Order: sequence, then structure tokens, then C-alpha cells
Amino acid sequence: MTALGAAAALRARQISSLELTLGCLARIERLNPQLNAFVTVTAELAIEQAKRADGELAEGLDRGPLHGIPVAHKDLLCTNGVLTTSGSKIFANYVPNFDAAVVDNLHRAGAVMLGKTGLHEHAYGITSTNPHFGAIRNPWDPERIPGGSSGGSAVAVATGMALLATGSDTGGSIRVPASYCGVTGLKPTFGRVSKFGALPLGFTLDHIGPIARTVRDTAAALRVMAGFDARDTASVDRPVPEYMPPAGELLLAGVKIGIPQNFFFENLDQTVDNAVHFMAYTAEDLGAELVSFRVPDGRQLNVIAQVTLLAEAASVHEPYLRRRRMEYGDDVRALLDMGRLIPATDYLQAQRLRRRILGVYLGLLQKVDCLLVPATPVAAPLIGQSEVAIGEAMEDTRLAATRLVRGFNALGLPVLSMPAGFSPAGLPIGCQLVGRPWCEAELLRIGAALEDRTELWKRESPYQT
Amino acid sequence: MSTAMGPDWKALAAAQKIEIDDKQRERLEALAKTMLGLRGMIDWSEEPAISFRVDPIEEAGQ
Repeated sequence: MTALGAAAALRARQISSLELTLGCLARIERLNPQLNAFVTVTAELAIEQAKRADGELAEGLDRGPLHGIPVAHKDLLCTNGVLTTSGSKIFANYVPNFDAAVVDNLHRAGAVMLGKTGLHEHAYGITSTNPHFGAIRNPWDPERIPGGSSGGSAVAVATGMALLATGSDTGGSIRVPASYCGVTGLKPTFGRVSKFGALPLGFTLDHIGPIARTVRDTAAALRVMAGFDARDTASVDRPVPEYMPPAGELLLAGVKIGIPQNFFFENLDQTVDNAVHFMAYTAEDLGAELVSFRVPDGRQLNVIAQVTLLAEAASVHEPYLRRRRMEYGDDVRALLDMGRLIPATDYLQAQRLRRRILGVYLGLLQKVDCLLVPATPVAAPLIGQSEVAIGEAMEDTRLAATRLVRGFNALGLPVLSMPAGFSPAGLPIGCQLVGRPWCEAELLRIGAALEDRTELWKRESPYQT
Repeated sequence: MSTAMGPDWKALAAAQKIEIDDKQRERLEALAKTMLGLRGMIDWSEEPAISFRVDPIEEAGQ
């Protein structure tokens, strides 16, 4: 069931928030021992909130489309009185006395909090194979990773353990798990959604966004999560528009979609290439014009983003790394150590370069409404797999998973990740729609048109039924 | 403290009382080499502090 489908059923009195919530809790109880999506389940709180939501609706108080909808929060978002571990030993016992901005926004919109979802340790990685909490498993094949770092959120949504979830994205951490798990995720424009109360990793790269079954559910969640927040120094004071795409058949006449000739379609698994081109031709069939052009070298942009993240993450973790070094997992400690060695001049030049490349992308995005590119070069790898085969070449699993997503964190552009197809083995494949700053509504409209036509979201994982 | 390929990363790490393996060293070397090459793209006439403006994307996106 989608969040908006549940919302309609609630208002038609076909189901109550309590029934929805108990259904999700029962699913969590059944599936979480196998998939490990949740770190903490707040069942009593969820039941209390669901009863309140039902009472308010009965009294005529309707807080909007997410009123009474069960949601899950990534466990790096602070939750008042509820454990917030960041998937780490460092914060294993951290219980904040405040809510992160997006947690608060969703609460005020009437959403019901089911609990906290697992992640790659400190959100610094894409496998979600966590040394302290165990591996999170992909619902399409539990021997495979769900992607990360928001792995638990994507699994929760893909299996119906939650109808919506929050995620964070510093180098692809919403879009990679959305792609591997066959769900939709949005990394908004930098500054669109408050980062207040999100434990930081790369403070100029971190983005908070929704993960959902459908594009329209994503739009409903973004509407609630977005908005100015003076507590976040990156937050921008701009009006929050209506993001919900219109109902009915959406056509794409007059829409120009850019298909890069270089970088994004190089070194891909053939099934990924086919799936993303299928989406392009679907857009064309809906009336869009496909425009081919070259983009700046993505490998260079990735290096700029990597240098930035290595330095910023090492800066954030320095006090813990010095005193509690052995409490980090091996992979995260190795990255933090590397970050301590990044020259200050390289970090500073990276900031000048990202600004310059952003200028080039903004020029390209004057010619088209969005770019359509793959999310990951291959479908989900196996747990523990350190290299993936792409064509005849072997590539580091982590670098492969992030090479098509990471650069957009450095540019701050909005990116929608949505299903594009399935591999012959039945694993989901994702694509990205990349837009102009603050133009999430346009991305969501294009995404909804593609989703309505392809109906890929309706295919259910073995754990969904 | 340096080699033909750039800094001696292992020595720099040791100075900070940490150890890095060959994989980390190779990655740092590759990043440094690319960053060196990218300096050709920098607009040296631009006011450098502009990079620290809080929201450069907003004006660019207008």
C-alpha cells in the first residue's frame, strides 16, 4: 500500500491509523529478524500516536495527507527520548532530548513514528553492512546489500514495514539504496530541507530527504519536510511550493530531457543501460524531447566530492577518533584516517572547483528541464563482495556504487531516484532525474509521468507479500 | 617526506600517529594527482572567499 493510498482509505473510514500502524508493527516483527532494517522499534509510542491521529480525524482535525501514516526515521536523525545511534558504537547510548527538524515536521503533520532504521556506520558507506548492528539485507535477495547508507529506510519502505521513511544523502545515501531496493528517493536542493538534528558527516554535502514507494508519496513527504529553518546555517528562506503532480494522465510535451553522451553511460552493466534508455524512450513516447550533450568529466567531479567529504568527515569525527578510535569499524576508520591527510589547499581548491563546475551544469540545465542518468552501474552486489564485475572489468564495490551519484552532492542539485527496470535475476535497477536548483516540483512531475506509464513501483519484492 | 609521485603518505600518517595501508596510500596519491591536474580549471582572478558564501546555488538558480 502507498502512503497516499492509505491516506485515502483513512479518510474513507475504510481503515484507521491504528490498524495501519499495527499492520506495520506486525510486519516489522515478522520481517525484521530476517532483514534487519530497524535498530529501534517504538511500538508503544506508535500506537499512542496512531490513536491520537484517529481521534483528531474523528473530531474533524485533518493535518494533511500524512496524518496517521506510519513512518520510519533513519537512525542519525535525533528523536526526543529515543535512542539515536548513527549506526555506531560511539553513539550507542545517545538519547537526544530534542527532535530533528524533519522528525518534528512529520510529527506535526500527524505522521506516526514506528522507530529508527539502520544504516551504514555514521552514514559513511554504501553497503549498510554494519559492524555493530549486523548486515541489513536486500528484500529482493537477502544475500545482497540494500545499498546505503540509508539501507534500513529503503528496506522498510520496500517491504511495507513503513509507508514512508526519512534518509540522508552525502554521497548517494538516499539514491543508492532506493535504486538497489526498487523504491523512490529524493535528494532535494541543498538548503531545501533542514539538517538540524541530523548527525553530520560532510556538512557541505549532507542532504535530508524522503524515501517512498511512489513519486507521489515522495512529493507528499517533501512538502512536509521542506522549509526554512534558522537552526540550520545552510537552510534557505524560500517558499515551499506544492510538489504534488496533478492527478490523471501526465504528458511531457514541451519537456526537454538531457541524455549525457559521456561518463554516465560508460562502463555500465548492459541491463542498466537498457533500463535507463527504456525510461528515456518512455519519456519520448509521452511527448518529451530527448537532447544529447556532453557533461563535465564526472571523474573529476567525483574527486572534488571525495576530497571534500574526506576532509569534512575527518573534521566532524576528530574528537571521537582521537579518544575512541577502536570503536569505529575498519572501513569507516580507514576513511577518517585518510581524511586527516587531505592537504588544506586541496580541500580549499575543491570548493573553488565545485563552484566552477556548478556553473557549467547550470548552463546545461538552461537548455533542458532535467538530465536522465543511471543511479548505479550495476544492480545490488552480494554482502561482503568487495569488487563488482562491469563488463570485463572489475571495480571496487563502493566506488562503483557512488560514481554516478556522488557528484550531485557537491553541486547541491535536486535529484530524484526512481525504479527504471529489473535485471534478469529480478533485481531492481534505478535511474536519476537531475534538475535545476529548487525545481523539485518539475522533477516530481516528470517522474510521476514516467511512473504512471511504467508502473514499475507495483512490482513487489518477495518480502512484500 | 616526498617522492616523485608526491608526498610520502605513510610518513605523513606516521607523523599523526596513524598507519595507512597500501590501498589507502594509492587512493590518496590518486586524489592528489587529480587535484593537481584540476588546478588548471581554477579561475585565479575570482575572489577566493566567494567559495564560502553560504548559498551560492540560490543566486545561480534564479
